[in-house]
Amino acid sequence: MSAAARPAALIEAVLFASPHPVPLPTLLSATGLAEGESRRALEDLKGRYSPEASGIVLREAAGGYQLATNPLCAEAVERLREEARPAPLSGAAHEVLACVLYLGPTTRAAVSTVRGVNSDAAVRGLLERGLLAEKGRDLESPGAPALLDVTDDFLIAAGAKNRDDFPSLETLVDETELARVRERLASATPEANAGVRANDPGADL
Amino acid sequence: MSDEASGAGPQADPRANPRARALEGFTVELDVYSGPYEGLLALILRDEVEIFEVPLRELVALYADENPSGTSTLERDTDFVDSATSLVLLKGRALAFDPEGEEDPEEPLSPRELERRLVGYLKIKRAAELLNERLRENAGFYPSAHFLPPRPGKLRVDRKKLAAAAKRAFSRTAEPETRHLGPITVTVGELAALIRSSLVEANGNPVRFEDLVRGMDRLRAAVAFTAALSLASEGSLTLRQTEPFGPLTLDPAARTK
Repeated sequence: MSAAARPAALIEAVLFASPHPVPLPTLLSATGLAEGESRRALEDLKGRYSPEASGIVLREAAGGYQLATNPLCAEAVERLREEARPAPLSGAAHEVLACVLYLGPTTRAAVSTVRGVNSDAAVRGLLERGLLAEKGRDLESPGAPALLDVTDDFLIAAGAKNRDDFPSLETLVDETELARVRERLASATPEANAGVRANDPGADL
Repeated sequence: MSDEASGAGPQADPRANPRARALEGFTVELDVYSGPYEGLLALILRDEVEIFEVPLRELVALYADENPSGTSTLERDTDFVDSATSLVLLKGRALAFDPEGEEDPEEPLSPRELERRLVGYLKIKRAAELLNERLRENAGFYPSAHFLPPRPGKLRVDRKKLAAAAKRAFSRTAEPETRHLGPITVTVGELAALIRSSLVEANGNPVRFEDLVRGMDRLRAAVAFTAALSLASEGSLTLRQTEPFGPLTLDPAARTK
């Protein structure tokens, strides 16, 4: 069968049979196709499995290619599986993910320092959901605390090819906003600064 | 810190003040939690819900909108104010969190350090908003879910090995070789009788096992030891050995009693 199958059909079959994203080298190894041939076939499949045309879509995530159901059909799939979509993450959880994604691998204490609040509960929730994992230890810190890093499941959930597939931290805050922060700080007297931490507690209480 | 937070006194620590049951019927609907208020307090104290995420103002509004019946309003209000004050204190402490424990709480941060922290946090906050959007956009993709079965490995059967294995599995276990053992000329019962008579002759005094088996061959000595164990287990005597590998003494049961 494989001798007669078209490249797109071969790739389609391999992706269909895999529950995880398949990296290109694995695709080449499984199908025996050349890289150029595979890329052309993947483009062909992307057209066929576009969100506008199909209930199944071809997406790139976590360093590989994956066939997944179209989010437009998610409710029907969830009814079939009799399972609810996981509850959305809290604001604190998003902040912890952002810390680990941009500053990681990093420790719980470092995450808490950046956020200005204890983040253990949020970290625990993310570990349970498989979006964070402990990968190694910080041997230079006292007690060698565990280092947290984002997982492939996180990249898949965020639709990211890899951790570089996010805008850089520096581009997320524009100069106008930074100038406003500096201006507010400069206008505050030292007395007014006393006791203030990295967050604005009054805004959250 | 807001007036709300700064108004909390040290006596309001919820860890030292378990909640009364007057608030039993009060339920809350928040983004982070939905259910009995007391459950929310328990989760906060167990660090399973981050106090930082609990909107206290909303909590107070929910309580104000509630109209309980059949409970003492004064007692209920007092309990709520007490617990809400504790939450304010807890939140205030969380916001002044110092994970390294190196900062002097009396010493204000330098403007430069404050700016560094604020800018760093602002970037992370914006990154969190971006992640929120991306995760929302990418929700609802379900993979094909065809989990591959375990690889069976190489399946090559050697007929001779299979036949040998079957022979081993289905044949009777061979009798162990006993020709090297001498004929058994004594029984446990005989030596138990010997021990009993020795104890009677000793007139209630202990008998040394060494004296009992003096002149016996190894087989008889071993059977005598088995007989002594058997008599000890039925309570006819007590075996005593004060130190490892020390002399073994047989005490008649009446003496030990």
